[in-house]
Amino acid sequence: MLLYLLWLLPLFGGVLLWAFGPQLKSWAGPIGAALIGVAFVATVVLWNDATAPGGLHAGLVTWLPGWSFGLQLDRLSLIWSLIITGVGFLIHVYSIGYMDGDRAFARFFAYMNFFVFAMMTLVLSDNVIGLLVGWGLVGLASYFLIGFWFEKPSAVAAARKAFVMNVVGDVGIMFAVFMIVARIQSIGYADIFAHFQQAFSPTALFLVCLGLFIGCAAKSAQIPLHTWLPDAMEGPTPVSALIHAATMVTAGVYLIARFAPLWSASADARELVGAIGGLTAIAGAILGCAQWDIKRILAYSTMSQIGYMIMGVGIGAYDAGVFHFFTHAFFKAQLFLAAGIVIHALADEQDVRRMGGLWKQMPFAFVAMLVGVLAISGVPGLSGFFSKDAVIYGALESGHPWLYAVGLVTAGITAYYMFRLLFVTFFGAYRGNVDQSDLGIRHPELAGTAASTGHRSDEEEPHHHAPAWLMSVPVGILIVPTIAIGWLDAWPGAPWRQFFAGFFPRVNEAAVAAPFSETISTVLVFVVVVAGFAIAYVRYGAPAALRDAIARLRTETVRMPAVLVNAYYFDAAYDALLVRPARVLGGWFDRFVDPHVIDAGVREVAITSQWLGHLFRSFQTGLVRAYALSIAFGVLCIVAYYAYAFAFTGSGR
Amino acid sequence: MTVTALVLGPILAGFLLYAVPRDRARVATVLAALVAALTFVLAIADAHAADASLRWLSRPFAASFHLGLGPISYWLVLLLSLATFGGALALSGPRARNVAAQLLILQGAMNGVFLAKDVLLFALFWDLMLIPVFLVLIEAGPHARSAWKYLIYNLAGGLALLLATAAFGVVAGTTDLIGNPNAHVVIGATWGGWIFAGFALAFLIKTPVFPFHTWMPDTYADLPSSAVAVVSAVQSKAGLYGFLAIALPFLGEQMLQARTLMFVLGTIALVYGALAALAERDAKRVVAYSSLSHLGLILIAIFSGSPLALQGAVVYIVAHGLFSAALFLTLGAVEQREETRDLTRLGGLGVRNPKLAGALMLGALAALGLPGLAGFSGEILILTGIFENGFVWPAIVTLIAIVLASAYMLRLFQGIMNGPELPDLPERRDMTWIEGLAIAPLVAGFVLLGLNPAPVITSHATITAAENTRVVGSR
Repeated sequence: MLLYLLWLLPLFGGVLLWAFGPQLKSWAGPIGAALIGVAFVATVVLWNDATAPGGLHAGLVTWLPGWSFGLQLDRLSLIWSLIITGVGFLIHVYSIGYMDGDRAFARFFAYMNFFVFAMMTLVLSDNVIGLLVGWGLVGLASYFLIGFWFEKPSAVAAARKAFVMNVVGDVGIMFAVFMIVARIQSIGYADIFAHFQQAFSPTALFLVCLGLFIGCAAKSAQIPLHTWLPDAMEGPTPVSALIHAATMVTAGVYLIARFAPLWSASADARELVGAIGGLTAIAGAILGCAQWDIKRILAYSTMSQIGYMIMGVGIGAYDAGVFHFFTHAFFKAQLFLAAGIVIHALADEQDVRRMGGLWKQMPFAFVAMLVGVLAISGVPGLSGFFSKDAVIYGALESGHPWLYAVGLVTAGITAYYMFRLLFVTFFGAYRGNVDQSDLGIRHPELAGTAASTGHRSDEEEPHHHAPAWLMSVPVGILIVPTIAIGWLDAWPGAPWRQFFAGFFPRVNEAAVAAPFSETISTVLVFVVVVAGFAIAYVRYGAPAALRDAIARLRTETVRMPAVLVNAYYFDAAYDALLVRPARVLGGWFDRFVDPHVIDAGVREVAITSQWLGHLFRSFQTGLVRAYALSIAFGVLCIVAYYAYAFAFTGSGR
Repeated sequence: MTVTALVLGPILAGFLLYAVPRDRARVATVLAALVAALTFVLAIADAHAADASLRWLSRPFAASFHLGLGPISYWLVLLLSLATFGGALALSGPRARNVAAQLLILQGAMNGVFLAKDVLLFALFWDLMLIPVFLVLIEAGPHARSAWKYLIYNLAGGLALLLATAAFGVVAGTTDLIGNPNAHVVIGATWGGWIFAGFALAFLIKTPVFPFHTWMPDTYADLPSSAVAVVSAVQSKAGLYGFLAIALPFLGEQMLQARTLMFVLGTIALVYGALAALAERDAKRVVAYSSLSHLGLILIAIFSGSPLALQGAVVYIVAHGLFSAALFLTLGAVEQREETRDLTRLGGLGVRNPKLAGALMLGALAALGLPGLAGFSGEILILTGIFENGFVWPAIVTLIAIVLASAYMLRLFQGIMNGPELPDLPERRDMTWIEGLAIAPLVAGFVLLGLNPAPVITSHATITAAENTRVVGSR
């Protein structure tokens, strides 16, 4: 019963706030947050049932034999549920402050609650189509929230792009569903895992994994389906924190961990997914170094960190990958929320070049951001340190030295761009009143400057009447796990490892002897991280750099390599290879083939047959009713003929 | 009794509606909606209604005025009454009374098509259902040209159908065969090909399928939205129903021979329609081309010979009816307010018309196959079925079309509702409760069917299984 409640409560909230938003007014926020809080409590109450052997089950509907839908809460979905409702609750509370005064305040919370429902559907389903339903619905919630300020064309375009790219992922999962149902005749996880080894040849198994991974890549912003994520930052900042950092974008990690038996059985799938994860980690990190919009820096960092997670689960280090999701949810949410405080205080300014020296005005945001930066960089003792180390070393243990090297280098780059963000934003002198061209900003509308955001409120003035604690308390609470949660997985036999002991299948390969121990690896990672920090310090944090920050920023902006500014030209390539050809072809069908080829062909046939031509001409009397009458008359004639012919020539044989 | 009432009742009511004075349009439309609602209730209440049968002719072949509710026609009758209900309620303007009357006549004629258990009767109702649409097009449409295009195309199909029916009757000895589980009619190779070709031509034009589709965008664009909601929701399904009810049981061998051709046509329709919808600027024509795409998929499903795909086809037939009717009614409401359907001239309506935006969003989501709504449940069943039967490429092409569908449906929605408010558009009030009432049953339908299509699946599972054994058995 409680499981149904946990699942449906956020849906109830979404519908309630959507339908009665105008009546609820400012109550919409607290109600939406409270419902998610209750869902969190329900998840905690269900802990014992979920961790019992086999987990908790509840049936829903059956379409056909083999197509049964139900809910299931086991250890893996429990972890995700805790993050979705727990971090989700904090972000809801934060949003009450952040979205205060927006004229669609209730609609915002309706969408947020709906998102939580969709995400719970995804992780609670006990079958692959239920998962696909959740997968599609989170995509929809993401679409709604990216395009929340829908009067702004860039937000509208970003929302559509995110949705369409995610449908590419849905379609990949659909392909996997075809393969599974065709061979196993069932959509339930239990049946799939029980029978897949007999049902699939290695090639077929690889294709199933490939289909599932296309879904992961789209949802979790893995190359080459990542381009929607930076654009998704058009949504309000709490959305970026909840959906595009902590929960939805990590659904790909969930999917692979959920289908761990399949991955463990397919070495090819592991190679592919590990490689893509590693590639995404390093490519995203490099792009993170080239951004000026505070949210886009964090977006590329999210992409890079999910690359780590995907790499982890892809190569078979499932609990390490899931642990990195777990810690990342806290520190990345915190980074986004801290960035949100800054953006909010600066009236929607997002360009870090126009910030600087903010630690004096916003010490709390500074501390929160600092802790987040330390955690994501992997400073020993903080949460990111443990999880990232586990993933990187997992690559070595599973016999992927190249991925290990990629993970190592990426750790250094991560430290570099995160400290770059910190120094440019909080140190030196405030540059918000500096002329944009002095900073090298040529296209403010592309750079996330205040002029381009769509935050609409009823009042003329920026609003400041929501109590500040609504935004700072959630951030303050998140600081605790950001610092400490990593210790859950700090030693052999730590709680996290016990929690997942025996849960994930082992990879069926002889363990490769790692060339050096985890301690040496940790030291190595630390050295690289310090190097990344040092470069960032010299370039942005040192007294000399701070003194002529304006000139340096202008130089860097102007000299930024085009390949990085254009994010490796993925967008341009998709536009040239797919979007425009489809438009042109469609336009040609619509405006040329239909009227001038097919219709013309039909006309030719009609005209060349003179008899028809004469017939039509003589019928074109212009009298509408005459036309109608002639048709009715024709039909009647047929009926009458039969009736006459057979009524009088005797019925029956 | 019930089945006869379902056919003759609306037709009679339609003629009676002309007695309502022209200027009391609201009375006429509400009455028409009531009649449609009544047929809905009647069909549900008497779902196992006895057949009505009257021997009609015996030579050269036996034929009867034979009506009965089959498992597929049951859902089509329900769908039709919902679409007619919504269409009638949403009517307004000076011609509302006449269009409402024609909608009822159309409903009766189409009920005749779906309830006919005699092929000849089916063919007669088939031609009859052209007339109300033609009259509405002539009376309320802006171009007489599209009315004629509609009529000529569909009469050509009707003629082919009539000839094929006559030949079928002569060869089989009787046309009183639809839905008869004891009918063991095998049409031999001599005539089978020609008979099938006649049926197929009629069905393909009606659906329509590439390359017989060019009448459709014109018709859909020019018909008042209320009428196009009914035509696109239900009349377009008559051809598909024909394949299911006539071709599948009696011409299985010929269907097997035509499979490759139909797969090619269906696949072309899928992609062609999707791409054209992506480029089209007229909102109604976007949905028209999307129908071309979606119905191509159903055609593939019907010819795949997979029981799962056939069940999915029926689900998708009903689903497409529900969401396309909802989409056209919503677009009608938009057009009525803004006096244009041009996506390049519309924009930003969502600010002042949130309810209208919500309705359009729901329809668009169902159409693009959002998991959880009816379009998805039909698609996944169909695709799994055809994939299971070994037809990998049609399934993969469909997956591409699904991605395109999300692109053109969002383009449609965003083009109308999102973006900055345009100063030169008239500001009109949001959706009225009566417009909401017209669309609500359709939305409820595609939500429920998306959650659980089992009622539609199980009610005809036995039939499809039986029909399928013939197709597969003759392989």
